[in-house]
Amino acid sequence: MKIFELIGISILVFLILLLEWRKLYPNQKKEKIILVTLTGISLLVAILLLYFPEIPGPTQMISSLFFPLGRMLK
Amino acid sequence: MHDKGRITAYQMALMIYPTIYATAVLMVPEITGQYVGRDSWAAPILGSLNGFFTAYVLYKLHKMYPNESLIQYSKHIIGPFLSKILGLSYLFFFLFMCGFILKEYYFFIGISLLPKTPMIAIIGSVVIMASLAITGGVEVLGRASQLFIPIFILPIPIFTIMLLKDFDPKNVLPILEHGLLPVLQGAAAPQAWFSEVFLISMFLPFLKDPEKGLKWSFISVFAVMLSLVSLNLLTIFLFGEMTASYTFPVFKAVRFISLSDFFEHLEAGIITIWILGAYIKITVFYYALVLGNAQWLNLSDFKPIVLPFGLLISLFAIWEFANLQEQFEFSKFIFPFYVPFMLTVLPTILLIIAKIRTRNTMKKEPPRISNY
Repeated sequence: MKIFELIGISILVFLILLLEWRKLYPNQKKEKIILVTLTGISLLVAILLLYFPEIPGPTQMISSLFFPLGRMLK
Repeated sequence: MHDKGRITAYQMALMIYPTIYATAVLMVPEITGQYVGRDSWAAPILGSLNGFFTAYVLYKLHKMYPNESLIQYSKHIIGPFLSKILGLSYLFFFLFMCGFILKEYYFFIGISLLPKTPMIAIIGSVVIMASLAITGGVEVLGRASQLFIPIFILPIPIFTIMLLKDFDPKNVLPILEHGLLPVLQGAAAPQAWFSEVFLISMFLPFLKDPEKGLKWSFISVFAVMLSLVSLNLLTIFLFGEMTASYTFPVFKAVRFISLSDFFEHLEAGIITIWILGAYIKITVFYYALVLGNAQWLNLSDFKPIVLPFGLLISLFAIWEFANLQEQFEFSKFIFPFYVPFMLTVLPTILLIIAKIRTRNTMKKEPPRISNY
């Protein structure tokens, strides 16, 4: 189940969120939303990679986009 | 303006030099060697043409819209909606490149120096260091590179002198045996690295002396070209056609040094020095990502998003390549098209559109008739 890794990642993400949240002023609403979204995406990617390390990523996306050009060099 | 700091054009050149060179030194000699064999010294000369061209295009764009980076001024050129999409593709590119560089850094350190250290420790430590520098702003970056990069450049002449007795200059003959076509193929990878001079777009608005921006960008591209040519020559003189079959041939060459049984195993030293350059490269791309994001979303400050992005680029680094061979294949076939497409072709299109637009608005203005 990899429960310890999950707890570790959650603590790390929470610490980053806490650390950056304290630097913001109360009126910086937009910054707060973006901060929460970014850390949320990171947490999601981390959990995804924890359970499915072989999942196709950005490399495969770019490779499939530029593959026709890449054949010229073979 | 998100960053109050100011740097000089000289500091910018010192930042751009390792941005191109630090990872080019790992991959380029091997990739060009596979296509060109003993003529691989000619490939960086051809590749650097793209570097000069990219620097010129971005300087022209900067002249039209000073005080703004590409992510900001694209909205004046192609409208707000398209510029948001363009900005997002650039941010994804920077995110991808940060992961790419970190993974390359991990593979190199992992293979040559710390084989048993877990990946997260190697990547995490350099990301934390980089995030500290970025929180300080562009001035800290400039000063750090002013401190580190002279030390980073120094080893090239020193090691060349130490290897002199092993050189066999005949390895380079005959020159251009198979014609120019293999050299053009071999130049594909170096020109991708040279197009990374694009990063001046992020730094030109912070210059104290913007009129010297182009001169110093050209100087740093030229310096990288000179270093790559000399290192390619060095590996050919030492290994000849064998160069392409080694991973990291330049460091193989340094391992080769043996002077009077005293100067041996210098690779630990050169890796330590290389880390300085790689650190600047990671920091520059990371900074471009964070600052670009703050500009894209019109944030008041970029500091709160530094650490979350640090986590995200570490995750991308873990995600991107499973092994060195995969990354090498990517650098050989996909990288030479993806990177220049983002960093050279798109800015050139932007420049052409901007030129046409300004000419049209000038035509629309009624001719000035003097009242005298």
